[in-house]
This record gives sequence, C-alpha cells and structure tokens, in this order.
Amino acid sequence: MANISIRNVSKSYGSLKVLQPFSLEIENGEFVVLVGPSGCGKSTMLKILAGLEPATEGQISIGGREVTDLAPGDRDIAMVFQNYALYPHLTVRQNIGFGLKMRGTAKAEIDRRVEDAARILEVTPYLDRKPKDLSGGQRQRVALGRAIVRQPQAFLMDEPLSNLDAKLRVHMRAEIGALHKRIGVTTVYVTHDQVEAMTMADRVVIMQDGVIQQIATPDELFNSPANLFVASFIGSPGMNFLNAELKGGRLTLFGREVALPAATAHDGRVVVGLRPEHLLLGEAPVTFSVRPTLVESLGSEKYVYFDAEGARLAEGDEGRSKGLIARVSHSGSLSKDEELVLGFDPERLYLFNAETGQRL
Amino acid sequence: MKRTLAQSLALYGVVILTVAMILFPVYWLVVTAVTTTDELYRLPPTFWPDNPQWDVFVRVWEAKPILKWLANSTLAAVGSVALSMLVSVSAGYALSRYSMKGGATMGLFVLTAKMLPATLLVIPLFSIFSGMGLIGSLWTLVLAHSTMIIPFATWMLKGYFDTIPRELEQAAMVDGCSPVGAMLRVVLPIATPGLAATALYAFVLSWADYAYARTFLVNSPDNWTANLGITTMQGEYVTYWNDIAAASVFVALPIIAIYLFLERYLVGGLTAGAEK
Amino acid sequence: MTDIPVAGRRKFFDLARPSRQHLLGYILIAPAVLMVAAIIVWPLFVAVDLSFQQVKIPRLGAAGKPFSVANYRWLFSSQEFWLACWVTLKLVVVVTAGSVVVGLGTALLVNNRFRGRTVARLGMALPWAVPEIIAVVIFAWMFDSSFGLFGWLAVQLGLSGQMIPWVSNAGAAFWAVAITMIWKGFPFVSIMCLAGLQSIPADYYAAAKVDGAGVWQRFRWITMPLLMPVLGVTVVLTLLWVFRDFSIIKVLTGGGPLRSTQTLSIMTYDQAFQYHNFGRAAAVGVLTLIICVLASLLMLGRRSRSIY
Repeated sequence: MANISIRNVSKSYGSLKVLQPFSLEIENGEFVVLVGPSGCGKSTMLKILAGLEPATEGQISIGGREVTDLAPGDRDIAMVFQNYALYPHLTVRQNIGFGLKMRGTAKAEIDRRVEDAARILEVTPYLDRKPKDLSGGQRQRVALGRAIVRQPQAFLMDEPLSNLDAKLRVHMRAEIGALHKRIGVTTVYVTHDQVEAMTMADRVVIMQDGVIQQIATPDELFNSPANLFVASFIGSPGMNFLNAELKGGRLTLFGREVALPAATAHDGRVVVGLRPEHLLLGEAPVTFSVRPTLVESLGSEKYVYFDAEGARLAEGDEGRSKGLIARVSHSGSLSKDEELVLGFDPERLYLFNAETGQRL
Repeated sequence: MKRTLAQSLALYGVVILTVAMILFPVYWLVVTAVTTTDELYRLPPTFWPDNPQWDVFVRVWEAKPILKWLANSTLAAVGSVALSMLVSVSAGYALSRYSMKGGATMGLFVLTAKMLPATLLVIPLFSIFSGMGLIGSLWTLVLAHSTMIIPFATWMLKGYFDTIPRELEQAAMVDGCSPVGAMLRVVLPIATPGLAATALYAFVLSWADYAYARTFLVNSPDNWTANLGITTMQGEYVTYWNDIAAASVFVALPIIAIYLFLERYLVGGLTAGAEK
Repeated sequence: MTDIPVAGRRKFFDLARPSRQHLLGYILIAPAVLMVAAIIVWPLFVAVDLSFQQVKIPRLGAAGKPFSVANYRWLFSSQEFWLACWVTLKLVVVVTAGSVVVGLGTALLVNNRFRGRTVARLGMALPWAVPEIIAVVIFAWMFDSSFGLFGWLAVQLGLSGQMIPWVSNAGAAFWAVAITMIWKGFPFVSIMCLAGLQSIPADYYAAAKVDGAGVWQRFRWITMPLLMPVLGVTVVLTLLWVFRDFSIIKVLTGGGPLRSTQTLSIMTYDQAFQYHNFGRAAAVGVLTLIICVLASLLMLGRRSRSIY
C-alpha cells in the first residue's frame, strides 16, 4: 500500500515560518496536486516529502513506513524536477538506469527495465545520446523514464512542465495523465498553474503563504471555494468580486436590489463573488444594463469588460484593473459603447466575510 | 556595416604594430641569446646577429643544471597544487552548497589572503620553518605556495560550482546516492573543466614564485627552482647576457607553452570566477 | 512491507538523512579551515607578535621578547619608511594607470572582428605567461647602462644626450621598474576587460545606434558604464599586485639606487633578510597589509564582495 501520510509537518528557517502545520492523507494511487502562487510553500513541502529538506516538526509515512528522517534514497520514491536534472555526463540509458545501479541491481535486469521504461515513454531512439542533444520535451520524458524505471511507491513532481512551451505543456499534461492511468502510482504534483491542477488532479491542495487554504476535488474547488483566495485562484478568467452591504437577507448589486435565496444570519459588509460565466446576456432573474469598456471576441465567446459600483479589483492583478468581466456566448458582433443588458441568477452568488475572506 | 578599405588597413596596421611592440621583448630575448658576447657589447644594438650562435642553448644546458631547476619548479608546483586542490575543491563545494555560519568570515579571509604580501608571510614562515628544520627543503615551497593557491582556488571553484544546478545532486540523492556520493559521481565529473582550469592557473601561480624560493632555498643549490637559478646567473660585476638569455628561454618556454595551448581553460577559469 | 535494499551506505553515521545533511558542509570545509589556520592565520599572528618584539632573529619555541612598540615607533619616525610609502604610492599609481590604459586599449582593439583575431589576442596577452624573473632579465638587458636598447633609443630619439645609467640614476630606475611592471601587468587587465566587453549584449549597441549615438557616445554611455564593475575589480587587483610585488623590483634594481625603487614590500623583506631585524620587518609588513586592506575597502566600498 503506497499511501502517504503527512502529519503536522511544519518548516521554519530560524524565526521565519515558511510552512504552517500541514496534514494530509493521500490514498494509494491518488494524484494529488499542490498548487498556489510562488512562495506558498508547495515546493518546500515536496522537498520535505522527498527528504531533501528536514521538517522542523511533524511526521511523514510512506506505505505505512515512517520515513521522517530517512535519506531520500531510502524512501522508495522517485522525483521529477522542473529543470529535468538529467546527468549531463551520462547517456540517456545511463541516466535512466542510474538509480538501479546505485541499488546494486544486476546489469541484465537494469538493461531490461531501462528498455521497458524507454519504450513506455517513447525515448528508445535516444538511449545512447547525451541529454544536451535532446529537446525540452524529450528531456522531460527521459526524466519521467528515470522515475518510473525504479517502480517506486510514489512519484514526486516539482513543476515538471513549467519549462516547456505552451503547446508542449498541453501535450505532456495529457501524457502524464495517461501514464498515471497506466501505472497507477501515488503521485504528488506541485505547480503554480491552476489549469494543470484542475485537469490532472484527483484532489487539489491549494496553499498560500505556507497555509493550506482548501483540500478538495477540482469540481468542489470550483463550485464550493472555502474562501476568497481559493475563489479567485481557481477559474479563468477569475471570479468577479464586489463589495456590498447585506441587510436582512437582501443586498444591492449593480443598482438592483437582490434577495438572497438562502437565509444568511450575517448582516453587514460582505464580499460578493460572481463568476464571469454566470453573467448572461438577456433574460435572467436579475438584470441590469451596462456600457462595456472593452469587448474581447474569441469567436463564439465574448469577454465583456465593464465597471460597476462596489467592484473590487484584485490586488496586483493587471487584467482585473480592466474591470469586471462577463463571459457570454454570442456569435455575432458586440460593440462597446453600445448598452448591453446582463443578467444573473442570485443562486450563483457566493458570499464572503469581508474581514476574514471565509465563505458564508 | 562593412569597413572601408582605409578603415580596414588602419585597423590591421594598429593591430600589427601593437602586437609587434608587445612581443618585441620576447623576440629580443631570443636575439640576445644567440648573439655573441662581443656583438652584444656594441652600439648600435644589432637586431639580428651576424653570426647567430644557436649552440648557446646546448652550451648553457650543459653548463647550468637547468633541467634540475625546471624539475624542482615542477615538483614544488605539483606538490602545492595537489595539496591545495584537495583542500580547495571540498571547501569550494561546501561554500557553494551549504550556507554556514561564518560564511561571511570565509569571504573576508579570502579577501585578506589576496592582499597578503609574500614578503610579510615569508617572515613568520621562515622562523617557523627554521624551527622545524625544513629550510632548504622543497616542502617549504609546497606549503608556502599553498598559502597563495588555497584562497584563490577556493574562490574560483566556489564560483564554478555555483554554476552547476543543485537539482543534480538532489536527483542523485533521490536515486540513492549519499551526499558525498552525489558530489563524487555527479558534480565532480561535470566540474572537470573548472577543476582543470583552476589547477592549471594554480600551477602557473606556483611556478611564478620567487620570494619564497629565494628565502628558503638560497643555500641549497640542489633544490633551486628555475626562477632562483636564473637570478644566480646575474653576476656581481659581469653578466653573460647571452647565457642568461638562453637559460631564460628554457625557463619561460613551459609556461608560455601552457599559455598558448591551454589559454582557453586559463582565461575561462579566470573570467568565470570574476563575472558573477 | 517490502524490504528496500539500501544502496551501499554502511556508514552508521548517515549523512543522507535530512536532519544530518547540513553537517556535510562543515566536514568538507574543515580541511581548508585547518590548513589555512596552520599556514596563514597562525603565521600572521606570529608576524604580528614579532612586530611587537624587539627581536633580531627569532627562534621558534624560544621565549619571546617583552612586548614593546619600539618597532612601530622607529617605523613612524624613520625617513626610510615614509620614502617607501611615497615610492609605493608613485609606483602603484603609475603602473596601475599604465596597465589600465594599455590593457583597456588592447581589449578594445581585439574586440573587433578581423582575420587573425585569435592570434592577435594570444599575442597581446603573452607577457602574462612570461615569468616575472624572465621579464626582468629581458628588461634589465634592454635597460643596460652601456649597451641597452632603451638607452640607445633614447639617444637616437634625442631624449637624452648619452646612454642613460638606468640602474644608478634614481629617476631612471623608477621608470625602468614601472615600464617592466606595466608590460607584465597590462595583460591581466586586457583579458578581464575583453571578457567584460564581450558580455555586453549587442542589443544595447543596436538600440543606441537606432537612437543616433556615434562611436564616442556609445563608448561613453554604454561600454564604460557596463564595463565599470569588471574594470573596478581589475584595477583593485592590479593595485594590490603592485603593492605586493617583490620579484621584479628586487631583481631589477634591488630597491635602489638610494632606495628610489624601494616599496614597502621590498623594505619589509630587506629589514628581515638584509638587516636581520625581524621585529622591524614584521612591523613594516603588518602596516603594509593594513594599508592594503584599507585602500581596497575604500576603493570598493560596499562592493568589496565583488572581489570574492
């Protein structure tokens, strides 16, 4: 059973706490993604899992075995790095077989397993080349080969696709997904890209500033974000946010009074969230008219940018300073400066506590 | 932008003139060596002797223990470079990979070591070596040259190791290597060019020493290094310039050869460490 | 639970464990620290200790002489010391300036593309590979009072009425040393500057040309500012080399005539091995080191880290 158990792991550098107590139980064969902006602690957590950094506190078990202070080579894990970390002075064959060689595996066995891994990842033609002769995508596949050949209990992947160009990234994403389906090894995957998280994960762990924000399946994250950060991080384009005042179950939005479906005991200032895709053109329970500031056409979809009272602009996010976004299906032409009627269903609104950011 | 013919001619002209002026002394050395003493003691100086004495090289080789001098210089250099590299490679690696308390102190020390004049250090070293009875032995040079090489080599190697990504050792450790194993099997093979460049430069550094050699070995002619040997050919009243020039050619040749054939490594090492 | 084979790590003190990984750093640096302590730090302390003793020739293990500042008092009041300071200063300025001018000039020259560029580059920096003693042999002969080439040239060019007694004329001796040192010193500047020049992205020059900048302007506003860091470090290193140098001066002029080429470095050595007064020698040496350190810290300021 290659389940991973992380119990209250935290990490500090002197007085600087980079990882708050982190607990997570990962099932055998699960594909878990740690996602979050730079500096949120996801890479640190991965390195602690790998044994490349000591945890300040906490315990880790892999496959039921306590590994907290075990050397990386003794944990029966394999790791794929952002920069591939292929040994430049060895051939591809030697790269892939390195781990087996270190463990004293018989030469014949090494050759067999290397050939198998190379076949699975389609790098057989490159076996006798050096890494510098390969392209980025090929190198990453060799790195994956090096990981699977040892048949470890778990894979750890540190932003393996970040160095690839966009098209290759999409392709490799699918390949890793297929590989996981085929081999079924427990995988912990770190990325800053929420698209990778959403498409690849069985469960996602969103982190910010060393703190876990939410652990859930991708759909749950999208439909039921636990707080403002998660709501703004997941989904593209990101959720719209507006400040509003809640009084007796009603609030004013876009100049319209809106009655909230569920009774909420909270009165006072709140942050209202509404996804761009939940803003519709035309008929809806609540409608309002706007004059768009910008219309971006993607063919059958349009992004309509507009301003509204109480609109909250995300900090430091340039796209958002363009205002609120509505993502509507419309095949014809829409010009800005022409008044538009937009609408939404109050069921789709998310309410967040204005101070803590928690969802109400 | 192509150059005009005039610009090209000017450029080539300046280059040729400059190189000629710079290399002239080396040319003059060879000329002096093959000129007879009579012709040397004459004005105007001849730019090429009427009767070049090419046998001066054979004569001087046999008259003076030049081979022994060169061998001693080499021994001292090999010894000090070997000792220093052993120590500096691990230190440079440690400084590159590990943040340690006292990292700043190390840096300060490297700084000071670069400013340390040999003429200062030779004083306590002389009294220490006298006390240990080492005066006259080439071991004094092995240790003394190491004082020059270790700080420089550590700094150069640290800079070089900094260019090797840490992920390589991490990958090796995940693959089952110990940290030392990762260093030996992965990092050092990759760092070979940098190691070679540092060792080469250190060799040249050791060979160039005169202060320590003169102080410690002056009374042991058997152990004279090349530099020291040459200076003994400078007479109190009379110097046979052709002889000393010929001997000088022998002494200069090894380093010039190293420079010409391995300049790529030497300069690469120098500048790589310098450009942060 | 399968038994995982451990890869040949029979150390019972396993450095690969996360909690122990950082120990390797200390272990690796220990030999260097020990060696340096033994052959540099301890001798330095011995030197400082000697400087505070009125000792002629010390014997290791023998009881030290009583603490006394006599050496420093003598030093500060001796004319020889101040003359050495002055000579050192003069030499440092002249040689550093000369090396920078020639070094930068040759670097700029070789930075152009032309046929035979590699040969030219190798040739221009060749003096670096000539051992200092050999350089002295060449230049001593060229500066020979009776038959030297330079003297003869000076007469031919009308700079002097007769052959110049370089080694016995104080002023001439200084210039002989300076010229020899510049010949040996400029290649280092040249090599470093060339590397620095080649690391300036061509885009900067392209942008400047589009902006209408001429050759001199590009040099002044792009080349020089971007070269400054490298040049700064190189200048300080050259300066320190002149301060420290022993071979060239000792063998060419011995420090004379009349101490006109006696730098602090030479004075340190002579006090110990000619006048056999180790105490005084140590004092001069320690003071020289302090001056060096102060001078470079001053010159580099907060950028002193760039030297290392």
